[in-house]
Amino acid sequence: MSYVASDTPLTMALPKGRLFEQVQEFFGKRGFHFKFEKRKLVAYDESGLLKIFLVKNADLPTYVNHGIAGLGISGEDVIYETGLRFFKLMQFDFGSTAMCLAAQKGLGKPDTIRTVSVATKFPRFARDYFYSRGVPIQIIKLNGSVELAPILGLAPYIVDLVETGNTLRANNLEVVDTLKEINVHLISNPSYYKLNYRRINSFVAALHKKEEPSE
Amino acid sequence: MTDSRKRYLQVPQGTEGVHLEEAYRHRRINQELFTLFTQWGYLPVETPVFDFYDIYEPLLRGSARDVYRLIDREGDLLMLRSDITLFLAKQMGLWLREEDLPTRVCYADTILRHQSAEDISKNEFFQTGAELIGKAGSEADLEILLLLESIFIKLGITPDIHLGSHQFLTLALKDFEEESIKLAIRAIRNREGDLLKEIIERGASRRRTEVITALFSFIGNRSEFIEEMNKYEGTLHNEEMEALEYLAELAGQMEELGYGKDLQIDLSEVGAQPYYTGIVFQVYHPGLDDAVASGGRYDKLLSRFGFDCPSVGFSMMLRKIENQVAEKFTLPEDIVKVEGKTFAEAFRAAQRVREKGGIAIQ
Repeated sequence: MSYVASDTPLTMALPKGRLFEQVQEFFGKRGFHFKFEKRKLVAYDESGLLKIFLVKNADLPTYVNHGIAGLGISGEDVIYETGLRFFKLMQFDFGSTAMCLAAQKGLGKPDTIRTVSVATKFPRFARDYFYSRGVPIQIIKLNGSVELAPILGLAPYIVDLVETGNTLRANNLEVVDTLKEINVHLISNPSYYKLNYRRINSFVAALHKKEEPSE
Repeated sequence: MTDSRKRYLQVPQGTEGVHLEEAYRHRRINQELFTLFTQWGYLPVETPVFDFYDIYEPLLRGSARDVYRLIDREGDLLMLRSDITLFLAKQMGLWLREEDLPTRVCYADTILRHQSAEDISKNEFFQTGAELIGKAGSEADLEILLLLESIFIKLGITPDIHLGSHQFLTLALKDFEEESIKLAIRAIRNREGDLLKEIIERGASRRRTEVITALFSFIGNRSEFIEEMNKYEGTLHNEEMEALEYLAELAGQMEELGYGKDLQIDLSEVGAQPYYTGIVFQVYHPGLDDAVASGGRYDKLLSRFGFDCPSVGFSMMLRKIENQVAEKFTLPEDIVKVEGKTFAEAFRAAQRVREKGGIAIQ
């Protein structure tokens, strides 16, 4: 039995910020058109299949975990930090970036015996990555402008997402190690998926289709 | 009142207080379920509030971090009851004898688990369930599935039961290393088809990889499942086919008895706990962020506690579902407020109402 009746839209959370426009374009090319009116945070796609909520990137997994939005689009960085379980229904070919260890130019890789400090917005990822490799680190949690940490002397290393590397270069920093490629996924609340798998599967199949020719 | 005292008047995360109407509903639901269990011949078992941690540690897998641990005065590491199934298995393993089998037991009690701030709606505070111990085979599996569905009929809801097979998982991945099996289970449970394919193709032919990946992502009703299964005849080993056919048979038997309308065969249900050996299932209901009940067959679990016998059962996070069935369990309306010139007169009048089964306040 499908509990979301065919005339009830599937609920989906989208992140504000850098990913939103890429998602909108990707969906538009596959026949799912939507736009948010000024200051509105809820919208429907033109076909009525989707009810879309616009939420802060870091809060998106929480909405999906609680089933407020059954589906969501989020980067692995954000998903990992929550430690929550989601179904990953599809990996997108946009928005990919890399989780990197960076430091001031010339410093090189950290000592694997002595504890070093690492400043990051991603403490869970950083802790798990280094602990599982036996590298002793101390984590300093920051909420933004992580590049400042080595410059101001808060911590010699940072773990952060690197897209182009321009910000690092501008601050005389360099990537010391690429820790993980970070991709963007369509995620689902497991229970929501199980109750609506037929409709979600056909939606995912539609997203996998090639772009619709522009009119 | 000082600020620090105000802080300690709050309820810490991971536990709750339930009051009046809500508590009444909770008890009423429990009474209904207890009556049902009794009618099916299931007798209650009470498990300890805490136990030695080390004996359960290998069985906890990912849930170990949610367990509250404490050290007793002798220095032993203890854990608070976080999953009645485990505590029950130990009790039964110690207490049962061959001549007691088969034994039907049920339970209903509080559990304690850590809950993170992002995850407070889980409502994993109270677990009720049943187990049929000492009986292998399809009749026992069927009995447990029918009992589970009967609970929901009694509660007036029709959630979906997703039925899978841990046995099929074990057979399909038997040639893989333990580490790959762990990764594959995670990919199957999280429906990461591409990752699963990557793992399987390291140890299987291209055709077999395709088949295994497709099967582990399959969900559908019995006839869709039979159609899917038939596509792969010849590619799967006999034992694997038998494990799949067994699921179709169970679903068919449910249907013949007029049950299982909302039963889905779902091979991505492989069981979150490492102790499953046969069927596994989870129950989903709209409006809930997670499965409301789960269970399956665990033929080797009791042997860890010294008594080797098969077992099948389920447990249910009752608090999750109580709001959904609130209308069926409302407070009694016909409460008589008895008046009297004296308290004694009112009391006697109230007693007369009570003797006839009514509710009275003097």
